[in-house]
Amino acid sequence: MKNLILKKNIERRFFLLSALKGISFGVLSWRLFDLQVIENKKYDKLSRNNQFNFSLVVPERGEIYDRKGRVLAANRDAFSLYIKSSQNLNLKKILDKLLLITNLNQEDVKIFENRYKNLKKKNINVFITDNLSQRDISKIAVRLHEFPEVNFLMTKKRVYPQGTITSHLIGYTGKLTERDLKKNKNLINFSNLRIGKYGLEKFFDNQLRGEFGRRREEVNARGKIITSNLYEKPNPGKNLNLSIDLNIQSYALTRLQNLNSKKSKFNEPETGSVVVMNVNTGELVCCVSSPNFNPNIFTRGVKSKEWKLLINNKKAPLLNRAVSGLYPPGSTIKMAVALAALESGVIGYDKKFFCNGVKEYGDMKFHCWHKYGHGNINLSQAIERSCDVFFYELGLKVGIEKIGLMLRKLGLDANINLELNELRRGLVPSKKWKLDVKGTRWTPGETINASIGQGYMLSNPIELVTMVSRIANSELSIEPTLLSGKAKKFAKLDINKNHLNYIKKAMSDVVNSEMGTAYKSKLKIKNIKMAGKTGTVQVVRISEDEREKGIIKNKDREWKKRDHALFVGYAPLEKPKYAICVIVEHGGSGSTIAAPIAKDVMEKLLV
Amino acid sequence: MFSYNNKFYKPDSILKKLLKMDWLLLFLVLIVCVIGVGALYSAGDGSLNPWATNHIYKIILGFLIIFILSQFNINFIMNFSVVLYVFCILCLIYVIYFGVGDVKRWINLKYFFFQPSELAKISIILLLAKFFTHYPNNSKNFLYNIFAIFLVLTPGFLIINQPDLGTGSMLILLGFAVIFVNGLSWNIISSIVLVSLISLPIIWQNLLEYQKYRILVFLNPELDTLGKGYQIMQSKIAIGSGGIFGKGFLTGSQSRLDFLPEKHTDFVFTLISEEMGFVGSMLVLILYFFINIILIREFLKEENVTNKILIFGVSFLIFLYIFFNIGMVTGLIPVVGAPLPFISNGGTSLITIFIGLGIIQSIRVSRNV
Repeated sequence: MKNLILKKNIERRFFLLSALKGISFGVLSWRLFDLQVIENKKYDKLSRNNQFNFSLVVPERGEIYDRKGRVLAANRDAFSLYIKSSQNLNLKKILDKLLLITNLNQEDVKIFENRYKNLKKKNINVFITDNLSQRDISKIAVRLHEFPEVNFLMTKKRVYPQGTITSHLIGYTGKLTERDLKKNKNLINFSNLRIGKYGLEKFFDNQLRGEFGRRREEVNARGKIITSNLYEKPNPGKNLNLSIDLNIQSYALTRLQNLNSKKSKFNEPETGSVVVMNVNTGELVCCVSSPNFNPNIFTRGVKSKEWKLLINNKKAPLLNRAVSGLYPPGSTIKMAVALAALESGVIGYDKKFFCNGVKEYGDMKFHCWHKYGHGNINLSQAIERSCDVFFYELGLKVGIEKIGLMLRKLGLDANINLELNELRRGLVPSKKWKLDVKGTRWTPGETINASIGQGYMLSNPIELVTMVSRIANSELSIEPTLLSGKAKKFAKLDINKNHLNYIKKAMSDVVNSEMGTAYKSKLKIKNIKMAGKTGTVQVVRISEDEREKGIIKNKDREWKKRDHALFVGYAPLEKPKYAICVIVEHGGSGSTIAAPIAKDVMEKLLV
Repeated sequence: MFSYNNKFYKPDSILKKLLKMDWLLLFLVLIVCVIGVGALYSAGDGSLNPWATNHIYKIILGFLIIFILSQFNINFIMNFSVVLYVFCILCLIYVIYFGVGDVKRWINLKYFFFQPSELAKISIILLLAKFFTHYPNNSKNFLYNIFAIFLVLTPGFLIINQPDLGTGSMLILLGFAVIFVNGLSWNIISSIVLVSLISLPIIWQNLLEYQKYRILVFLNPELDTLGKGYQIMQSKIAIGSGGIFGKGFLTGSQSRLDFLPEKHTDFVFTLISEEMGFVGSMLVLILYFFINIILIREFLKEENVTNKILIFGVSFLIFLYIFFNIGMVTGLIPVVGAPLPFISNGGTSLITIFIGLGIIQSIRVSRNV
């Protein structure tokens, strides 16, 4: 009986605990249902994150060709060196060992160490360098078993087969920096990405870069890659076809640079620029700036020593003089002043002024380049012989505002949409500009200086060649471009044709008439003639004292104080095709230094 | 062995004894075991080595133990309860000084590692059953129950000290459940609950850092996904990503890529859930449920109080293993380290459960129907 009560009691307790068990089974089932059915999506995503690592695949950068398909910028196979990060890696030991057997760039190593320190994820490949020579690579490859953390990846390396010839134009690429990322929010922070830093590489960076692809890697818990395959193909960058003709470009460059080596002891290349433009399409056939640099040093990572040399060089080899070199245009704008006068009806074709070598205005004296004057001459003769006094008179009659208007119409200090970020706009002064910037009123003396392109006036070779192109074309406001085959619609020029023809005739006389300043540089090709205008730009003011003592010859002056030599022109005369602008910094006279270069380049172009 | 009091007693033949066994139960256990072999085959990356083959040997050994134990009368087995208990206590003391493993849990027996804490679970069931039969009708006596509790806490604390919080607390829970079923009065229960509530802060202070940390991380595993919460998090990811039908046999990415810790032992259920999905994990759970139902039926059939306590003890032990394990891998309870019965590639724990089943078979076979 007692046993029965005991049994009943035990059974009651047993049911209590069995109920507890039942509830527990229910709880477990619900938990499984919750995890596997209700929250499945969340955990599935987490599982995929565990399973797969996505890494970016760099697209191949677009190549750059000249107008005839010759390669100016291309990609070559290269190896990148990586170290796989892990928690307790003796980084110093590995790097020391690597440095012992290879020529690793110290700066690369430093950047790598920084990058390694700031890693957010573990077990990823950290990029060291892609600048290993074939020898270094094979050295490491042979001893790879000693470096289990080190591995290679095939990458592409930017090369510029033409090196210095197109250096300023093509520019170069460089490593992505924090500043680049801040400036451009669309950039993907990728340690090994190189972006355009200069020239066309910079301007067309987006097109050239292409779109990243993705590689999917299956990774285990220890970070070891089990499988790896391409998940999204990268979209290679677009190629660029330039309007540049490599032949002309290299010829113009050597012609410009070798100028001195023939005649004087200086072996340093001449500084300056040669720009040739198609007057009908605006395509730039050659765009040379000297001195230049080798863009390939930026590909392998420019060493700080080299960089300092480039930066501290007084002749600024990194400067693209064709687009960002600003010079007083000098006599090369006399056509524009003349056009302004003709358009405003201030003078007729036959109006003459007398030049006795100096123009006195108030208590100031403005000299002509010809000490004894040109005598009584008309507009056409004044352009042909580049008489300054004639233009002093003309300038005073027309006024700075109208001169400025015409210059802007012809492309100076105007909006030019060239495909280079380095383009610097020239300066055509006006009364308002003087008041705004200098705070004083415009004086007639400044008009006199401006009418021969001196004083405040500044311009770059691209603007000058645009000016000549528009005059030569006579119908359209041609604009320069570096891309070939880019159909462009140009606005009407809107200048009286007769006036233009008159000016063009005068420009022809500059080269083809015996009295012309560039007569010695007339083309030696049958039936093809060139028209043009020389310019010799004073860099320092010559005082009256110096004039009396006799002007020191250009050659004997300090380089920095010598005149700039300029020439602008176009050819052929009847059916203009090419316009040219040559500037030789501190080269001397436009007629003896700049014009012969233009002649040689034109002959090369037209033969 | 045959010194039974009844002189008319005529022992059954071996065959008859075998026929009297609960074959349905054994069949269900066998199915779970086969699932275990499959899971371990998958855990070995689709290879019988190193775990699946080993598991098969242990299962064979386990069934042999069931058959052998079922040949003995339960009363005979009960004779060893005190000896077994003392042996377990001695072993637990032995491992403090000579144990192997990073937490000194095992005794190295050359061919295999023996974990006395697992065997202690069976011995506590046997001992308590024996104790309660020898001194019945005392369930309302305070000192009587305190002694029973002392019998449970002695091995319990020895195990917690190893330190093995999971096994120790499971043993204490098991012992308490047996005492509770025996009829511990509610007055004593409520006073024990009160005392433990008061002593909880003291226990908390005496817990080792890793044990405290495990409990803290359990409360919010996301806090520390790379440290201690890593296991729970990865396990939950694996189970959750399995979905309804799973990623398929041998294709669970979490287990393939080693994100699952101890996928062949404590986290084997996670692997099944990942590869077989909700369907697979529920199948395992339902099999366990039926095994429990069968044991409940066995309990109800049994008239003898001692045997009732034994059956309850074994069934509750199996339940605790299941609940601790699945609760742990699904993040319901802290990471305590409990194997999944018949599936985890454990050593002593697997044998312990088979011994428990053997005892139940022995009760069944000894019963005179």
